[in-house]
Amino acid sequence: MGAGKTTAIQSLSEIEVVRTEANNSERHIVDKATTTVALDYGEILVGAQEKVRLYGIPGQRRFNFMWTILKKRAKGMVLLVNSDSPDPIGEMIFFLEEFRVLYDRGGVVIGVTRADVMPGPTLAEIYDALERTNPGLVIPVFTVDPRVRNQMQNLLLTLVVNIEMRAAFGVPTVARSV
Amino acid sequence: MSTGLHLKPDVVEAASTLLAEMNAATSSLTYAALLTDDGFDVARFPVKTDGERFAGMASSMQALGDAVTHELNIGDSEYIIIASGKGHVVQLRVPGQELVLSALFDNDATVGHALAVTRSFAQKMADLLA
Amino acid sequence: MTIDVEHVAGEPPPETVDFPVTVGWTQAAMAVTAVLSLNTPVHIRMVIEGHEPLLIDFRHHAFSWSTPLEDFPVDAVHTRLETVPTSADDPPYFELPGQDLDGLLWEMGLNSFGGGPAVWLSPGERYSLTRWPNLTQHSHNLRQVQMIAVLGNAYASTAELAAFAGVEVSEAQRLINALSLMRILARSAAAPAATMAPQTAAAKRDSLFARLRKRLGR
Repeated sequence: MGAGKTTAIQSLSEIEVVRTEANNSERHIVDKATTTVALDYGEILVGAQEKVRLYGIPGQRRFNFMWTILKKRAKGMVLLVNSDSPDPIGEMIFFLEEFRVLYDRGGVVIGVTRADVMPGPTLAEIYDALERTNPGLVIPVFTVDPRVRNQMQNLLLTLVVNIEMRAAFGVPTVARSV
Repeated sequence: MSTGLHLKPDVVEAASTLLAEMNAATSSLTYAALLTDDGFDVARFPVKTDGERFAGMASSMQALGDAVTHELNIGDSEYIIIASGKGHVVQLRVPGQELVLSALFDNDATVGHALAVTRSFAQKMADLLA
Repeated sequence: MTIDVEHVAGEPPPETVDFPVTVGWTQAAMAVTAVLSLNTPVHIRMVIEGHEPLLIDFRHHAFSWSTPLEDFPVDAVHTRLETVPTSADDPPYFELPGQDLDGLLWEMGLNSFGGGPAVWLSPGERYSLTRWPNLTQHSHNLRQVQMIAVLGNAYASTAELAAFAGVEVSEAQRLINALSLMRILARSAAAPAATMAPQTAAAKRDSLFARLRKRLGR
């Protein structure tokens, strides 16, 4: 919550983003006025008939039925991690696990937001945590400001090229020890 | 501003009482919940069910309903009905509050009756909180 | 001028490297790599004509320089390079946090060895990525993103990387040098050649990446 997903989709989308915001009951926990309760929807047109569809889904556990829906449809995932939250690394590991099927099927990139705002975990700490919990996974991790279109485009392009290279080299699912 | 209604004991109690009354008044009511706009469970009937997941879903549905009516330029969504073979869900906002009343009726009730009951109790909730 | 690689890589550097005035970053890259790979307890101080001195504190993975990396001088004239002994308890070389050393290593790596292999690399090796660089912090182009994505999914020699990504060998080499200097590249003499699913030129043009790039004006 509060990582900047709605903002990120707005930066990327060519259409006006369809939003489903409600007033935030938890302002004492995360200080923002509204929160997404269903999904944000945006688009980028890449051909006469073809679009890249962007879905921004809430990270709070009570909306995890949305995660199930998106896991079936999505080709890849941009995971935004709020560096300023109480446990950014724990959250990141949780969502990587939760959405592992998207990594296996396509790809995942991670954007760390608000990294400049507060001293949070360093990128090195984030990479260490990734290597500890998911050895062998090589996932792009970039610091990003979701308001900056260029940075979000870079993240999206990196996701897409990664998905294509993975397919081109026939990378099998990394074997995981339980 | 109705911040954290699910965290206010007097609101939770009033809501629980109201839903119990709704159940007493309507034999076809199977489940009812009051939830915040952003998906927190305030109260439910029967009391001992886990309302968390349903609250999240109902809030999503409410928001999507509004998104659809705004997309079609027909104003705000007034109520949402989901009909199934075994019953129907009627859902609408509590007037003037960031609260949603969502109720499941079995097929003994007509949709019209279910809607009337739900509207009436949503208004009662509004009056309680005003 | 010959470069005595073994001297640089095999022994801890003396307090001041006998450093002829050089243009470019090759010598600096070699000194930095020596410190990084041997974990020598030293700072580095570079004197560069027309710029304030560049200071590196390896313990904090940071550098201090008044010249911003966006204005990185590719043909910098280095007049002096010093190693300054330090120990774990010593205070930082400059006021922290400084700048992330990775930013400097990226530029240094891309702009040393003139498009040829860095001296610490061996012929016949294949490379793969162990960790992505934080590209938001580095000036980069999309060909580099493609190459990094290849290395993230396969082992490739420099020549193979260039072929997979459709770039000049020297461009691929510069990237390999940079990633290697940043210590995020695995090297293997034994990894077999990777096969890339054959792509027609049309398929490449029509890939989502190509179309998305075009749409975004990149």
